[in-house]
Amino acid sequence: MLEIKNLSFRHKDSKEDLLKNISFDAYKGQITTILGPNGSGKTTLFKCILGYWKPSKGDIIYDGSSIRDLSYSKRAKILSIVPQEHEPPFPYSVFDVVLMGRASHIGIFSTPSKKDYEIAEKCLDIVGIFHLKDKSYTKISGGERQLTLIARALAQDTPIMLLDEPTSHLDFRNQIVVLKKIKEIAINNSLVILMTLHDPNMAGIFSDKLILINSGLKIAEGRSNEIISETHIKKVYGVEVIRIKFDGYNLIHPKI
Amino acid sequence: MKSIKVVIIILSPFLVAWFALFFGAYDVSPLMVIKILINEGFHFFEIGDIPEKAIIFDIRLPRVLLAGIVGAALSCAGVTLQGIFRNPLVDPFILGISAGAAFGCAITIGFLSFLPLQFTAFIFAIISVIIAYSIARFQGEVSRLPLILSGIIVSAFFTAMVSIVKFLVDPHKLQSIVYWLMGSFSLADWRAVKISLLGFLAGVLPIFLMRWRLNVMSMGDEEAKALGVHVKRERILFIAFSTLAVATATSLCGIIGWVGLMVPHLVRMLTGPDHKTLVPLSISAGAAFMIAADTISRTLTSFDIPVGIITALTGAPFFIYLMKRGGKEAWGK
Repeated sequence: MLEIKNLSFRHKDSKEDLLKNISFDAYKGQITTILGPNGSGKTTLFKCILGYWKPSKGDIIYDGSSIRDLSYSKRAKILSIVPQEHEPPFPYSVFDVVLMGRASHIGIFSTPSKKDYEIAEKCLDIVGIFHLKDKSYTKISGGERQLTLIARALAQDTPIMLLDEPTSHLDFRNQIVVLKKIKEIAINNSLVILMTLHDPNMAGIFSDKLILINSGLKIAEGRSNEIISETHIKKVYGVEVIRIKFDGYNLIHPKI
Repeated sequence: MKSIKVVIIILSPFLVAWFALFFGAYDVSPLMVIKILINEGFHFFEIGDIPEKAIIFDIRLPRVLLAGIVGAALSCAGVTLQGIFRNPLVDPFILGISAGAAFGCAITIGFLSFLPLQFTAFIFAIISVIIAYSIARFQGEVSRLPLILSGIIVSAFFTAMVSIVKFLVDPHKLQSIVYWLMGSFSLADWRAVKISLLGFLAGVLPIFLMRWRLNVMSMGDEEAKALGVHVKRERILFIAFSTLAVATATSLCGIIGWVGLMVPHLVRMLTGPDHKTLVPLSISAGAAFMIAADTISRTLTSFDIPVGIITALTGAPFFIYLMKRGGKEAWGK
């Protein structure tokens, strides 16, 4: 279990807290999604959890021990991140990129072992992109790139996986492909999955738990049917929506 | 296909070195070169005190070895810095090494002729990188852009200082400075080979061992951190080892441009960007290229043309070719 406890953050010379006393838990085998508009503090929260920025208050706890002040090499054995897809400066093969997930397991003066190669291949297989192994990472589609980065995070072999808006640059089909894969991995590998998403409907359908934040404050937390509602959406996004119940899900569509 | 290319690149410095040993003002047959080399090692047969022996051992072999080691060092530092700066257009002199070494050379020739030139060139090359790194640190956490900018600042400063020295010294000394700045292996001897080997062991060997980390480092600071790399520490190590390699090389033979930029490019185009193979192949191809360039520089005319001129002359057409053809591949865009 990942526990975020009373986490606050402000920049050194700033007076304004970007995160205000945020607390929530995320569980193994489940997808926990942070939902909020741009500038609400989602990215700040991730940067604090990843150790890029030091929280000014609060703690981050995994299975009873604090991971707040861990070194990058120790943290990389507990947390992996799937960043938003990007282009690296050199056209590495998909396999090379996935293999990079093993960095925290490989000494500074050595190169990947046979075991690392096997793990990377297995992760390609789990994500279902083994056929892309030798393709150049710069020449595959956005969806395939996102899956490559998920395979890399899997190769890192951590109990917690963070995903930063994994669907933001993807078309409708690829959004579904990627989210289904994330769901499958969360259950099969019993990972703690923490991600951010833009689309409340997608978040509601694929997540076990939603955390709604705005201006650095947690507004609400709960199962998707409790969170996806006219009042919450109005409060956080400032738009009027209509809620529809379908097949056990709460869906929203904008009033037009 | 790739494995054939790998084998060719690995063998290329030995093949080129063999050519370099029998090419020259004094004719030595290709077979005789091999005979002399084998004989020195194993004494299978007696070939007597022939002049070829002296030419090979006292003149050509140290020069070929020095060129090979220097080419390997420059190319290895180039590929390393391109990786950590995430930019395929970075060259090994980006942090001001060449300007620092040039200043060391200029003041030695100009005013401090009692000091060994190689020593001052080496010291100022190191000093320039330390200054560049310290300036970048004023910004707080050292990252790529401040480092490149401070490298430019340090280069500009030392280049200006070199100009002042050039302006003040007498024409005879000025000529020595200018000649040194163009880079040459004409003064190669066994002592220089030994020093270059030390620089190679101190700089290139550790980079070779750490080479796979360059893949991870080239993904950017935040990603490398998330993958478990101590970015700050490993970047300092890579910069330090590259600096040792380049400063040693530069102090021995002057400033030889383009090799560290061009060779990694070429190898990346041929065998891909994975640093696990890219680093050793760049080392190998760098050695072959430099030996070839030096052989051309000493055999093209009746006198020694500075090898820096040859490398620069190959550099320009090479990049025109790159822009026309493989550029997209090699730059990943």
